[in-house]
Amino acid sequence: MEIGEREQLAGDKWEVQLRKGCLELAILAALWGGRLYGLEILRRLEDDSKLIVSEGTVYPLLSRLKALGLVNSEWVESEGGHPRKYYALTKSGKQRALEMAGIWTRFSSSMRKLLSPLSGGK
Amino acid sequence: MTIANDPQKRIEQYLDTLRSHLRGVKEEDVQEFVEELRSHIQEKTSVTGEMTISGVDKVLAALGNPADLASEYRTAALITKAAASGSPMRILEILFRWASYSVAGLFVLVGATGGYLLGGVLFICAMLKPFHPQTVGLWAFHDETGDLTLSFRLGSATPPAGAHELLGWWIVPIGLLVAFGLVVLTSRLALWCASRFRRSNVPESDFSVDTTVERHGYSHE
Repeated sequence: MEIGEREQLAGDKWEVQLRKGCLELAILAALWGGRLYGLEILRRLEDDSKLIVSEGTVYPLLSRLKALGLVNSEWVESEGGHPRKYYALTKSGKQRALEMAGIWTRFSSSMRKLLSPLSGGK
Repeated sequence: MTIANDPQKRIEQYLDTLRSHLRGVKEEDVQEFVEELRSHIQEKTSVTGEMTISGVDKVLAALGNPADLASEYRTAALITKAAASGSPMRILEILFRWASYSVAGLFVLVGATGGYLLGGVLFICAMLKPFHPQTVGLWAFHDETGDLTLSFRLGSATPPAGAHELLGWWIVPIGLLVAFGLVVLTSRLALWCASRFRRSNVPESDFSVDTTVERHGYSHE
């Protein structure tokens, strides 16, 4: 493998890891405005954050968030005839979302300062 | 109509495969997970109004390989249960699973087993001390090569000649405290490692930039 290809691969991997790390916060943030079902959460992630994830990845994560008591769920019959599983933040889910958002804001602010010399386009 | 050209049978085949990879998970949880995915598939395929083989295949491909999906779900379920129970047995169960296909998992398993064993030995030492005060404890002695050796002695056998006990009765409170601390620390470290692994185990193809993936075939509400 050429050195350029290896560097490209390492860069891609870093971006993948970064996106993965954000997914939990992104889901909690998507639910902040009210209850959503799985497909709506996927749409929200895609439209608002361009955080494209495999559809299958979101469902085990939602199940984990539920087991941790950060979200709760209920089945609701849809107009189309099939039931939808809606998720909503619990009190501790809201608390966790606020904590994570605070950490994210501080972290991104520090990184922005550090990266400001790089944004001159040189 | 065969599975090859029946969209509904294709969906059932996918869900059956998923179910078969979820053996060992509580039936109630499996049912809930499968039904949620069925709802997802139905909603996406119903957008066009007509369920076709190519439409169903596209939806199933976007969901990913059922074996990978089941593996992701099982690992998440195990870690969550272990974290909730805090049980070393549950944690070791996850680590065995991880170690079966990863060298990193094997290292964490060995480390965690060592931590739990040492914690167990300290606990047993503290418990046996009142019954065998002359022999049980932490002993220091010089071996044949003259090197200083530390040894936890749990039985009633006589310690080697020239050995002296280091902690005396302090082995009881210190042993209990350190044993408790070791078990808690080992559990936390193991869960932290397993949790990190779980995140980094998601196949890279699961995440991509929006310009490189096919857009989903649903309309926005």
